[in-house]
Amino acid sequence: MNNPSRNPIDKRKYLLAFLITAFIFGVGIYVNSTLDQKRLSDIQVIQNQISLDLLSSETQFDLLKASSCKNVGASALSQELNSLANRLSYMEAGAQNNSDELNLLKKNYSLLEIKDFILMQQLNAKCKSQPISVLYFYGDKTNCPECEKMGFVLTYLRSQYPELRIYSFDYRISLSAVDTLKSIYKIDDRALPALVIGDDTFTGFKDIDAIKELIPELKRIDSARAASSTAATSSKATSTSIR
Amino acid sequence: MGYALPNFLAYFSYSLLFIMTYFQVFLLLTLFEHDEEKEGHLAPNGQPGTLGRLPTVTILVPVYNEERTVEKTILSLFELNYPKDQLEILIVDDGSKDNTWNIIQKFKGLPHVTLHQKENGGKYTALNYGITHSTSEFIGCLDADSFVDKEALNYILPYFDDAQTVAVTPSLKIQNPDSILGLMQNAEYNMGIFIRKIFSLLDAQYVTPGPFSIFRKEIFKKVGLYRHAHNTEDLEMALRLQDEHYKITNAHKAMVYTVGPRTLYTLYRQRVRWTGGFIQNIIDYRHIVLNPKYGNFGMLILPAAIYSIIGTAVFIVYKIYDIFTSSLLTYDHMKLIKWDFASQWGLPSFLKIDWWYYNFQATFVLGALSLAVIAFTIWHGKKMTGESNKKFVDVLFFLIIYAMISPIWLATSLYNTLRQRDAAWR
Repeated sequence: MNNPSRNPIDKRKYLLAFLITAFIFGVGIYVNSTLDQKRLSDIQVIQNQISLDLLSSETQFDLLKASSCKNVGASALSQELNSLANRLSYMEAGAQNNSDELNLLKKNYSLLEIKDFILMQQLNAKCKSQPISVLYFYGDKTNCPECEKMGFVLTYLRSQYPELRIYSFDYRISLSAVDTLKSIYKIDDRALPALVIGDDTFTGFKDIDAIKELIPELKRIDSARAASSTAATSSKATSTSIR
Repeated sequence: MGYALPNFLAYFSYSLLFIMTYFQVFLLLTLFEHDEEKEGHLAPNGQPGTLGRLPTVTILVPVYNEERTVEKTILSLFELNYPKDQLEILIVDDGSKDNTWNIIQKFKGLPHVTLHQKENGGKYTALNYGITHSTSEFIGCLDADSFVDKEALNYILPYFDDAQTVAVTPSLKIQNPDSILGLMQNAEYNMGIFIRKIFSLLDAQYVTPGPFSIFRKEIFKKVGLYRHAHNTEDLEMALRLQDEHYKITNAHKAMVYTVGPRTLYTLYRQRVRWTGGFIQNIIDYRHIVLNPKYGNFGMLILPAAIYSIIGTAVFIVYKIYDIFTSSLLTYDHMKLIKWDFASQWGLPSFLKIDWWYYNFQATFVLGALSLAVIAFTIWHGKKMTGESNKKFVDVLFFLIIYAMISPIWLATSLYNTLRQRDAAWR
């Protein structure tokens, strides 16, 4: 009663199942790459918007050269830059196939940052306001093990102080404008992370307190906030006591 | 970003998904190329077929401390639509310490019921005791936590018309699933019904479930009696039959209801026993794996089952590593920002309502497809056994709860196997 006719292996079925599975995988990969393409073109749209904004600010700046400083606000611009930075780092984390295209977008982003930085400097010079911007140069895990921490601290500070503008540059990016920045501020890949505050370059990891020491403006904001919150509570206290 | 999936793990998860998808596609292809209703075994209009003659059948009921359910189990056997003079109910008390022996005394003296008491030796010894004391042509067992549908035997026996078939498995269902745990097992058992049928079509069943699998009695003379087999004697028996190229068929309309574990802990213990038994028995029968002499069973079904265990194990290790490194990272980060938890309360950017950040990766799409196929198999299992409740709430419980707890019992089973320790029987 042994079963000599055990269901034989049907090679055609094994092959058919393989073809169907491969097809399903192909569709999955195709959908994925289409969405990635859509993401990249979204980044492109944001970049176009930013360069338009920059051009507009420059024009505005030129127009108002002789008059007041009040009208040249650019806080919306820095928000756009932040959203762009988030998207770029998300794409970078999952980058597999489109790293060439991504690299191009990153270069574009670096250029926009530099232009924004220059515009801010001109504004600050004209309007005599305190500069509150940081140039941040980072590397990869091998030549900058502390960059991950540094990036986290700077992201945190930016979320706490919307006034603070942080321009981050990938040290490895091959772009002449970034190279010029590096040579102006004497950035060396053996000393990353590097921060440029005002005209000075600082290297190595800096924690929150160290950065506040380097940017006294942040401390001023802190004390202003503390004062306003005390004022708020004391005025509340007064109003209850009057009643 | 710094903690992205290491490359080899990315490839591994893709290969795991590919093999899972391949396996599912293969099972569905098998389903579509067979039409059980047309291929016979069942009389028209879905009524049980007839053998031409009614053979003698013995149903063993091995009991050990089963005072609460034993009576109901035996009464369900009385309800079987089968001539009483052809049916023997053989109850073996495996040295119960509770009131079981006294309860079953009420069946004493009934012409087709025989009571036996032996010293406790484990379930497989009770089965062997029954097999050696039976004189019937066919023999099966019904655990004292299970109940049969009255037509079950009539659905099973026609499959023995095929002289090569030595064992026929039924469809197992959960008795009155009402709790979350019950509904979850209901979904799982319905999937099992579908899979058992497909495996049967592929000559690849590797379990002859304790409750109501029926054997030709002479087969025990040929391949030997039950063994301890790492507490999963029903799995080992099926492997032994496959090993010797005997045919195991499935009668999906023969329904047996079983009381699933009612607490998470007993479920966990049951699964540790099953999974551990599977791993250890597969190690004992490793010569079948990837051996073309064993057809689909050796080349596809067993390798896929083994691969899914290895895959889950790798996934567990990766997940533990991931949780460990990411909590270290979070600790570092929180320290850097002086434990300002409030600043981190918002959703991380990739969870914000922005399609842009949704992770539509290939793995995601394929994983979703896999889940859809699982849902289909459960639905199909229900359809095959005429279950009216086709709601998907149990499928949801199954997918969610199993994803969370099955890695735990798998890890325990692997650990036990490595330590060569047996999980206790019940």
